[in-house]
Amino acid sequence: MASIVRLSSVCRRGVKPLFYQTTLLARPLVVPHKHQEQPYQLTAKIHASQALYAGSGSKAASMHWTAERILSVALLAMGPVAYFSPGPVMDYSLAAALTLHGHWGIGQVLTDYVHGEPKIKLANAGLFLLSTVTFAGLCYFNYHDVGICKAVALLWSK
Amino acid sequence: MALLLRSLVRQSVCLSRAPSLQLSPLLCRHVAPMGTTAKEEMNKFWAKNAKLNRPMSPHLTIYRWSVPMMMSVTHRGTGVALSGAISAFALAALVLPGNYPHYLDLIHSLWVGPALIALAKIGIAFPVSYHTLNGVRHLWWDIGKGFKIPEVYRTGYTVIGLSVLTSVAVAFLL
Repeated sequence: MASIVRLSSVCRRGVKPLFYQTTLLARPLVVPHKHQEQPYQLTAKIHASQALYAGSGSKAASMHWTAERILSVALLAMGPVAYFSPGPVMDYSLAAALTLHGHWGIGQVLTDYVHGEPKIKLANAGLFLLSTVTFAGLCYFNYHDVGICKAVALLWSK
Repeated sequence: MALLLRSLVRQSVCLSRAPSLQLSPLLCRHVAPMGTTAKEEMNKFWAKNAKLNRPMSPHLTIYRWSVPMMMSVTHRGTGVALSGAISAFALAALVLPGNYPHYLDLIHSLWVGPALIALAKIGIAFPVSYHTLNGVRHLWWDIGKGFKIPEVYRTGYTVIGLSVLTSVAVAFLL
């Protein structure tokens, strides 16, 4: 009977956002066995493997997703480490991690609610500016003032 | 599912033509690339729906509220609020004269009584702990676990409970 290739990728839940699976950019391969002969089999395989990558070869979105998760885990670990060994290393690491996590997070919010090419460009430019100023301000605070770890400790000592 | 139906229909159409044409296996190119990119499809989707004046999903005023929906909105809300607070703090550090302990003393002088201080601490601690704990829940989903509805509710209530507990604990014990 007919076999449908890659049905599992359509039915898989959770892990990879379906949009970014390149296999979905090709119409599915249905190969009736009774039509399969040697030369056609080879052709079908060549066409299939070409078409699977024909829509988009970029893994940028997928890598971005993975990077977001890695950063989240890193930020999670930084909490206890900053508590037990505060200091300039943790101050600057927290500044970088918090700013980037926030930048990417707000980026996702903008992607959800802002539509239309010019508006998207404007919103992302504004976000980039905000994140840059945030990181600059945090670094300035770390250098010229008490630093993030000490600031939290002082705030809580009220 | 739509892909499955389309492929089955295409197959039956191909097979129905088989008796008349010798070359039908060749004509039935079973795989072909799509004509548009994902970006173009997305823009077309938004343009069409905006033109029809459809409300954006999940429209907060028409969907029935549920705990998972509430928690997702709160996760986003706390995230945006925390990010805004950090940006405001960084901006203040760049713009305001004087140093941090000076401003902290200023704020100290305004506080009246331990109750307000405790409330303020909980107010700061809760968004951080909720966003962190729900973030862990999100990472749990990202490795593919906990999608069954009872599990979603169980992990959800756990996050809410632990957030409240940790905020109160951090406010009073530290």
